[in-house]
Amino acid sequence: MSRLARPSRNAAPVAVAIAILGIWWLVAHNGGSGWVQALGDVVFGTLFIGIFGPAVVLTCAKVRIASAPVDCIAGTPADMRIEASTRVRICARTPFEGEAFVGPVGRRRAPENGVPLVPERRGVHDSVPLDIATAAPFALQWWTRRVDLPLPSTLYVAPRPGRPQSFPLRADEETGAIVNWVQADAGQPRGARPYQPGDSRRRVHWSATAHAGELMVRELERPSAEPVTLTVILPQDPQEADRVAERALGTITRFLERGSTVLLATVEASGPITAIVADRRGAGRRLARAVANADTGHP
Amino acid sequence: MRTLEAIKRANRPGPPEHSIRLRAACFFTVAAAIAACASMGEVSDAAALGAIGLVAFGMVFSYFTRQHPPGWVKIVVAAGAIGVSVWFVHAVSTPAPGITSIEDPLTVLLVSVLVLHSFHVPARRDLMFSLAASAGLMAVAGAQAIDLVFGFYVVAWAGCTIWGLVEMWASASDGGRLAPIRLGMVLAAVIVAAAAVFLVLPAPQVAAKLNLLDRAGDGGSIGIPGALAGDAGSPAQLSRPGTPSGPTRVGGYLGFAGSLNTALRGSLGNTVVMLVRAQRPSYWVGETFDTWNGESWSATNSATHTLRQQSPFLLPVPVGSTASGQSDLQTFYVVNSTANLVFHAQSATELWFPSSKIYDSADDTIVSPIGLGKGAIYSVESEVKTPTAGQLRAAQDGTLLPAPVEDSALQLPHPYPRVAALAKKITAGASNNYDKVVSLIAWMGAHTHYSTDIPPLPAGADTVDEFLFGDRVGFCEQISTSLAVMLRSLGIPTREAVGYVPGAYDPITDLYQVRADDAHAWVQVWFPGFGWQSFDPTAVVPAANPDPGTAALDDIGHALGRIPLAPVAGALLCLALVATFLHWRRARPLTWAERIARSAERAGRRSGRPRRPYETFSEYATTLDDLTGSGSEAWRDLAEPVEASVYGGHDPTPEAQRQMVRRARRLRVGRHRDEDRDLHPVA
Repeated sequence: MSRLARPSRNAAPVAVAIAILGIWWLVAHNGGSGWVQALGDVVFGTLFIGIFGPAVVLTCAKVRIASAPVDCIAGTPADMRIEASTRVRICARTPFEGEAFVGPVGRRRAPENGVPLVPERRGVHDSVPLDIATAAPFALQWWTRRVDLPLPSTLYVAPRPGRPQSFPLRADEETGAIVNWVQADAGQPRGARPYQPGDSRRRVHWSATAHAGELMVRELERPSAEPVTLTVILPQDPQEADRVAERALGTITRFLERGSTVLLATVEASGPITAIVADRRGAGRRLARAVANADTGHP
Repeated sequence: MRTLEAIKRANRPGPPEHSIRLRAACFFTVAAAIAACASMGEVSDAAALGAIGLVAFGMVFSYFTRQHPPGWVKIVVAAGAIGVSVWFVHAVSTPAPGITSIEDPLTVLLVSVLVLHSFHVPARRDLMFSLAASAGLMAVAGAQAIDLVFGFYVVAWAGCTIWGLVEMWASASDGGRLAPIRLGMVLAAVIVAAAAVFLVLPAPQVAAKLNLLDRAGDGGSIGIPGALAGDAGSPAQLSRPGTPSGPTRVGGYLGFAGSLNTALRGSLGNTVVMLVRAQRPSYWVGETFDTWNGESWSATNSATHTLRQQSPFLLPVPVGSTASGQSDLQTFYVVNSTANLVFHAQSATELWFPSSKIYDSADDTIVSPIGLGKGAIYSVESEVKTPTAGQLRAAQDGTLLPAPVEDSALQLPHPYPRVAALAKKITAGASNNYDKVVSLIAWMGAHTHYSTDIPPLPAGADTVDEFLFGDRVGFCEQISTSLAVMLRSLGIPTREAVGYVPGAYDPITDLYQVRADDAHAWVQVWFPGFGWQSFDPTAVVPAANPDPGTAALDDIGHALGRIPLAPVAGALLCLALVATFLHWRRARPLTWAERIARSAERAGRRSGRPRRPYETFSEYATTLDDLTGSGSEAWRDLAEPVEASVYGGHDPTPEAQRQMVRRARRLRVGRHRDEDRDLHPVA
């Protein structure tokens, strides 16, 4: 909770209330009826609490994110369970989108599910900026308060999976022929040998296993562990950087689907990092943390 | 264009409202307002029932057509509203003869609009309009309310309104509900805010002749034209002078009978006779007397005129009075039958009265041709002159009294040598009439005692001699008469007036409650240029209406003053002690393990590191040890046996439990000693 509550932009209820009370008081004061004035006092009390009460409610409201996913993808909803001590409307602010009511409901209502908040862009977040609003208790005037709710754990927003990068053909190292990039374990098997601990299950040779009666794995013609090194250099422009990251993720996903080992080189806030990404989630996290070179001050 | 767009946006239909409870709350709010108007007689009971039934039907119709309201309904509602508005303008611009109030047409307008509107309330905003319009209807009803019974309607209406608003929030927030305790806090806040404004606002004032009512009550006609009647509580019974042998009159007053016998006083009850709305408190004059015979006052110089015209009656300026003064509008609501004197603040210039004639005397006495029974209402405008003391001291020039009037205002039945000597002695230092009056009043205040519990004077005895040179104990008639005779003995024109003192001010209704025992007699003294001015040795009339807040606080103070403080304070103290004990019992940890955990959590909160919901006690203890930065594992040492006990059932010995609890307490308060480090729990 960082900022004070403020009324919503629509000041019509306040203006109408002031006008009503002014006219009422004039009529009561000049009409000489005590009951009219007493009724006006009741109307004033109701309008006053209805208009300014939400500010107090909002100030006293306790809102927290009880649970949230660790990973998500930009543009897709991330369900967060947000708890509030009173009923409030939450409206996510940049870089998130989404609006929902959270907080206690009547006993007859079923408990509500998580609030789907949509991160607009990739990134790493420890908190979610929100506008929380309420008009309790009388729905006469909305008041809003800006808060940064801490997340229970860091949220990695991976870029959207973009179109993979098309790479140029390369010459085969032994024959010199131009070949396509191939899947590392897609070559001709040289033979089969018994399974040893540590062997990938992708290399299980089921026919040989059936024939030999024990678990057999392929021995490949080429070593499949040769990593594909992918260096991602993000430009300064955030949108352009997102596009590059999306494309990079698409490319990494393609390599991973082919079984390649991908060595991803990025620049993070702490400096350049080059490390193998094991799966798409890991790639997403790396790209979520990636920043443009100039952002870090590193060469 | 922006304005046009704003209007279009404002008129854009809102989303359909699905809450049945919100509609029910709005219906009951409107019904309470219509019932309040019916209770005030602004609409008949049958019309009110019909209107409530139509509103209920309209609400149901609106609910079922909320998704797609028929277009013809909107047209019918708009046409109806326009038609009723045109009728209202016509009714107000051409009122019925003698009626200046706009409340009845306004009631019809608002009720009609609410009925029509109930057929087209598809959205939440439309229901809000119903609530607001019902507030207007309540205001119209409140303008007619003169007693606290109207408070029941106010409470019902306010309760339904708040219910409706709470339902509105439930609907707007997609199911949000206020917990009962929060709803109670909201109600308390509304009451506090309303009370604060009530205490601050000044009293309302009648500032325009828009609400001056006249209505005949159940008094009926009086057989003898111009005769006085009703002083005994029955409008049909003619008034008669009080006699020692005659029955006393509960609720009546012996002075409202054409003469005032000062030897005796009627037994007056505290029945509310009438309610008065006025711009300022005044003596409500009924009659004045100019002739004193030693025992009774009578009016001999008061020619009665019959005024025949439509209400309002334009009253002639009383003899000797000046027309200029501050306007004071008053409305009198007769609650119980009283004399057919038209009470008013001096001097009346215009009268709204429910008859075609009245009897007006030159001495400012106005007599009604009909009995003033329960329910009668009339309004008066007076020109009240409120000169300052300096103006009265300097009052030498101006309108002089006509000779006959002056003679009667100085009349004495016989010389009062002792009275004259006493008056001269008291006023020896006064150089003008005003100072003489003030000196005599001060002397009366210091040397006489007010009491109604005295026996009637013997027949033939002179009241003034008996009072001033007897025990000087008497009631207002005797005290005021003594003052009048002393003033006449000094050559100051004086007369006796009877009527009512303003009565108790009700801060809610803004009305003065005039009771039977507020009947009073006082003295009027002639001042050139300012006319008859009232002086009273036994009562004080405030200069202005009190503020409602001040009056309410005074009432509350008096009410609290009657409460026996010691027993109430003792009971409250006992309740507080019981509540504290129960709270302590509930908050107290039950087991040694819980007490250690509670100590750790309190220590953590003090260090700015509260325990998180997902943290085990061991994890939290480790965190607390890390916070100390000294490498100590004191909390960790305590956490192990606690968890072993809670999850493993391995309880340490009672002595070890006590030691660990003490150690946790020391850790919490920061008095961790080195020897505690060596203290290890024994499992």
